[in-house]
Amino acid sequence: MFTKILIANRGEIAVRIIRACREMGIATVAVYSEVDQQALHVRLADEAVFIGPAPASQSYLSIANIIQAAKETGAQAVHPGYGFLSENATFSQAVRDAGLTFIGPPTQAIHAMGDKAEARRRMQSANVPVVPGYQGDDALENLRHEAEVVGFPVLVKASAGGGGKGMRVVWAADELEEAVAAARREALHSFGDGHLILECYIPRARHIEFQILADLYGRTLHLFERECSVQRRHQKIIEETPSPLLDDGMRTKMGAAAIAAAQAVGYQNAGTIEFIVDPERNEFYFLEMNTRLQVEHPITEMVSGLDIVQWQIRIAAGEHLPMTQNELRQRGHAIECRLYAEDPSNNFLPATGPLLRFHEPKGPGVRVDSGYTSGDEISIHYDPLIAKVITFAETRTAAIRKMQSTLKETVLLGLTTNWQFLQDVLADPDFGTGQVYTTWAEDNFEGWQPPECELPPEVLIAAALTQFQTPGSSDRSGHAGETSKDPYSPWRVANAFRLSE
Amino acid sequence: MRYRYQSRGQVYTVNLERQGAAYRVELGEQTHEVAILDSAPGEISLLFDGRPVTLYWAADSSGKWVSLDGCTYLLEKPASRRGSGPGERQNGASLRAPMPAQVQAVNVSEGEQVEKGQTLLLLEAMKMEIRLTSPQKGRIVKLQAHEGQSVERNQLLVEIEDIDQE
Repeated sequence: MFTKILIANRGEIAVRIIRACREMGIATVAVYSEVDQQALHVRLADEAVFIGPAPASQSYLSIANIIQAAKETGAQAVHPGYGFLSENATFSQAVRDAGLTFIGPPTQAIHAMGDKAEARRRMQSANVPVVPGYQGDDALENLRHEAEVVGFPVLVKASAGGGGKGMRVVWAADELEEAVAAARREALHSFGDGHLILECYIPRARHIEFQILADLYGRTLHLFERECSVQRRHQKIIEETPSPLLDDGMRTKMGAAAIAAAQAVGYQNAGTIEFIVDPERNEFYFLEMNTRLQVEHPITEMVSGLDIVQWQIRIAAGEHLPMTQNELRQRGHAIECRLYAEDPSNNFLPATGPLLRFHEPKGPGVRVDSGYTSGDEISIHYDPLIAKVITFAETRTAAIRKMQSTLKETVLLGLTTNWQFLQDVLADPDFGTGQVYTTWAEDNFEGWQPPECELPPEVLIAAALTQFQTPGSSDRSGHAGETSKDPYSPWRVANAFRLSE
Repeated sequence: MRYRYQSRGQVYTVNLERQGAAYRVELGEQTHEVAILDSAPGEISLLFDGRPVTLYWAADSSGKWVSLDGCTYLLEKPASRRGSGPGERQNGASLRAPMPAQVQAVNVSEGEQVEKGQTLLLLEAMKMEIRLTSPQKGRIVKLQAHEGQSVERNQLLVEIEDIDQE
């Protein structure tokens, strides 16, 4: 087993991985950019190494700086988290070439699945159903011809892409040229590769993914599904498991397909197979594989009882997976809501800034994965995810109710967030009956504005009564005492000491 | 004591009167009995018309943030005239950067006539492409953006004037 691991990431996932290491008695090395010097993941790690200025390209995406940090600290393995370099085959190979263990799949598996065109080809060879489409010479004339074959509406998609970038839906032939130009431009900019593929666009499709765990000895298992159909511009907002759509028969078939897909590329460690499900025809198609840990992995951990991050470390260290597929069970229902620093009433544009106060909710079946505490700054340089709130209960209805009341216990001051939007989605009757699909949130909540309601009197009264109190008084320096950056400041750890009335 | 706050365009007035250990509060037409049960940095527990309630708060240059039952409210000083300072056009339109970003592409030039909805600029921030489109038909009279430039939130990028009606 490793004695020291470097976490090549930041925010909540770095905190998550550090926790897993601590539980296993493994020393941790954090890396940080200029703006993350006081970040939670840095404070929690045993050691921390500065790797560059705030822009990710100069720090969290700097392969050289990260490998250097690993060598300097004597780390034996590197966990890439998600995003950043986690699906970068060059990085995974550079780690291995430096004599370190990359906690993730083999480089060739990252290559194979990272190229959407290649992934489709491999799946077709393995008899895994894929979305009808085209992957080949992507000159405009060819795309024009093939789009007619696939049929409209068609999705123009970046082969090297992900996260909704470099994608355009084309409803009619005359829109194709502009869509191809836009998608290519975005693809070149975001991924450095403008190659495009075509896929049949299935309206009202559902996004259902399967968690894969595979050891180095050929044992490949799935840890069931996650339904991720509540999305906006291909960014997930709410995820849950089990999927309200699947019955046991479908689940078994998709699980087997997920395993076949992973085995077709010789996959090892944790990964996720994404499927598009056409609920009308009850057909499922391979969409893509994410060759890394996913943001929404906690909901799988809740229903399966497994710690996926710890298993990633064990697998990388050479341990065998002891369980068989038959021994794995799902129990209860788990939901995850992503709290973002963004303004849903202003086109969901990021609303970054100081997190003056963040009070995490607690209780039975409540889990919060966050990379921030009160006083931290949500920076424009990185993803505006503040925290993931996860609830776990016996039934779907109970899990939804628990999420609604758990969110009411959450305190977020200083930022505009999607809190109200999440509550409105959770309360929606379509969500209640599980009738969601990938464009449901966009269709249903287009032009969403927070509800017009009178300010509660308690809020105004509290503001007036605290007008001249010390922490956070706007008459002072403009800093709330709680936001002190001094880690030893008493305001950081103060809780419920009385001020004389 | 009288306090005034503004939230989402509406102004509220709170009138607080000390009554022994408690307060009598007038809010518009309503009157409430309030007592402070407990107070800690950024936290206040009240007895509000006989009911206990805890609220969390913090203040910064934006105003006063208050959280009740998970919902966050921002109370500002009333009569803050944000968004209409000197330099805003009387006719036509001004386009400002919605957040700190980099200019990816400038699709128009000064003097050019544009249509409503026409893409004028492409900005990039937080790995997203932000499209700035013209809110109206008009002529570009000022263009303060070039490819590769870093811009700040609210930075003026384009000014458009109405085209004279025939």
